[in-house]
Amino acid sequence: MIELRGVGLGIGGHDLLAGIDARVETGEFVAVLGANGAGKTTLLRAIAGLHPADGGAILLDGRPSSRLAPLDRARLVALVTGDEVLLDALRVRDVVSIGRFPYHRWWEWRERSSDEAAVARALSAVRIEALTERLFSTLSAGERQRVWIALGLAQETPIVLLDEPTSHLDVRVAHEILALLRGLTRAGKSVVCALHDVNEAAAYADRIALLGDGTLLAIAPPEELLVGSLLERAYGIAMEHVRLPDGRLRVFAREAVSASSDAHRNRAPSA
Amino acid sequence: MKALTLIAILVAAAAAGMLVGGTPLPAAQIAWALAHPHASGVVGAIVWQLRLPRVCVAATVGASLALCGAMLQGLLRNPLVDPYLTGVSAGAAAAIAVAILAGASPAATPAVGFLAGLGAALLVAALARRGGGIDGTRLILAGVSLSTLFAAIVTLAVVRAQSGDYASTIVAWLAGSMAGRGWRELETVAPYVTAGAVLALWAAAPLNALRVGELRARSVGVGVERAQWIILAASSLLAASSVVLAGLVGFIGLIVPHLARRLVGSDSRVLLPACAAIGATLCIVADAVCRRIVAPAELPIGVLLAFIGVPTFLYLYLRPAVRSGSGVRG
Repeated sequence: MIELRGVGLGIGGHDLLAGIDARVETGEFVAVLGANGAGKTTLLRAIAGLHPADGGAILLDGRPSSRLAPLDRARLVALVTGDEVLLDALRVRDVVSIGRFPYHRWWEWRERSSDEAAVARALSAVRIEALTERLFSTLSAGERQRVWIALGLAQETPIVLLDEPTSHLDVRVAHEILALLRGLTRAGKSVVCALHDVNEAAAYADRIALLGDGTLLAIAPPEELLVGSLLERAYGIAMEHVRLPDGRLRVFAREAVSASSDAHRNRAPSA
Repeated sequence: MKALTLIAILVAAAAAGMLVGGTPLPAAQIAWALAHPHASGVVGAIVWQLRLPRVCVAATVGASLALCGAMLQGLLRNPLVDPYLTGVSAGAAAAIAVAILAGASPAATPAVGFLAGLGAALLVAALARRGGGIDGTRLILAGVSLSTLFAAIVTLAVVRAQSGDYASTIVAWLAGSMAGRGWRELETVAPYVTAGAVLALWAAAPLNALRVGELRARSVGVGVERAQWIILAASSLLAASSVVLAGLVGFIGLIVPHLARRLVGSDSRVLLPACAAIGATLCIVADAVCRRIVAPAELPIGVLLAFIGVPTFLYLYLRPAVRSGSGVRG
C-alpha cells in the first residue's frame, strides 16, 4: 500500500508537483497520466525512494520511504524503467538475477535455491522462459521490456512501479504487457504505471491519477475521469469522447478524430 | 573449470618466473630451495631473497592493477578507463620526480609516491563530487586534467634533472620496473593491498547490479554513493601500492579486464578474481621476459607490455567477425 501525504517534488531547483495526496491500495492498478514534463517519472522515482520529496511524506506499507534503508526499500518496492544500452553482453538470466540483490549480504556470492526459484517465477510471469539464455542485446523492444519487468518481479516486492512500459511497443505487445500488469494485481501486488495512452490506461487501470498544473488533478476510476474536462486541462487539447459498442468509453484528441471514427460512432447502437 | 585453468596458468607463470635470473639455476635446485627455506647457501639466497620476492611483486602489481581497472570500468561503465584515471599515477610520478630532484633518499621515494598518489586521488574525487556521490564524467575530466598537470611537472623535473644524475632515476620510475624490489616493499604495501582487495570483494555485487544502469542499481537497493567511494578508495589503494612496487606500469589495468570479460563474462564475482589471476600472470611473464630479453640489462616492463600487448589486444578486438561468447561486445 502506498500513501502520499502533501507531497511536493522539484527537479533542478524548479518546483514540479505540489500538494499531492493519494493512496494506492493493495492489489490496485493505478495508471499515472499527464502531459510530457508533468512529473510522472519524478513521482514514480520519489515513491521508489530514488528522488527526494521537497515536502510531505511518502509511506510504503505504513513506513516512511525516506527512512528506509536501500535494501529494505528494495524488498518493498520495485521500479521498472525503460530501455537502456548495456555495456556488457548479458544474458536474460543475468539481467533478471540482478533483482535478487536485496536478498544477499555482500559476502553471500552464491545464488540460493530461493533466488533461482524467484528468477524462474519472474521469467514465467512475463512468459520469456524461452529467452533465458539469449543475449539481451539480441532481443526485440517488446522482449526487452518483458525482461525489465521480470527484473522488477524478481525483487518480489508488494509494490511495482513502471515508467511507461508500453512506449515504443506495437499495439499487441503493449496490450500483452498491460494484461500482465493487470494479472499482477490479482496476485496481490500494487501496481502504479505511468502511461501515455489514455485509452490503455482506461482499459486496464482501476484508477487513473492525472497530473497537470503542477499537482495531482484527480485520482479516480476511468469512467469518472474520462467524462469530465480534466483531461483537456491536463493535456491542453480538446478531447472527443467515443462510446464503444460494448459500452466502454474512449477518448481521442479532437483534431485526430477521423471521419471514419465519426461514422463508426454514428453506427454504434445507443447505450 | 576456467578458474582452475587460470590458477594453473598462474602457477606455471610463477614457476617460469622463478627460472629466470642472472644466475642459471636448474628447476630441481629451485624446488629444493623452496622446500627448505631455512637452508643456507647461494641457491637459497637467490631463490628466497631475489627471485621469489620479485615474482610476488610482479604478481601483486599485476593483480592490483587489473582489479583496479575492472572496478573502475564497471563503476563508470566506460571501457576506456584505467587505474591511473584517478590521478594516482601522475600524482605519484610528479611527487617522486620532484623528490628525486630535491635529493630525497631513495628509501623515502616509495612512501612519497604512495602518499602523493593517494592525495591526487583524493583531490580528483573532491573535484568530481556531486551531492553525496561522485559524478563519473566529472571524475574522468578531473582525472585527465590533473594528470596532464602532473605530467607537466614530471617533464619539468626531467628537463631540470638533465644537468645532474637524476634524469635516469626519474625515467626508470616512469617506465616501470621491479628491479631491486623485494620483501621489504611487499611488507610496506601489504596492508593497503589487502584492504583494497577486501573492498574489491565487497564491490562485486554492486558492480554486478550497475551493469544494468545506475537507476536500476539504486532500485534494487545498491547504495550507489557508498559503492562509488568504496570502489574509488579500493582502486586508489591498489594503484598507489603498485606504483610503490613498480613505478608506472601501463596497459595491464586497461586491457586485462577486457581479456577477462572475454574469458569469463562480466559477472564481477568471477570477473574480479579472474582479473587478479590474469593480471598477475601477465605481469610475472612480462617481468621475466624483461629480465631475459636484453640480459644482463632489463627492459622496462611498461615498454614490453605496450609493444606486445597492444597489437595483441587490437588484433583480438578489431579483427572482423569477432565471436565474443559471453564477453563484452567487440
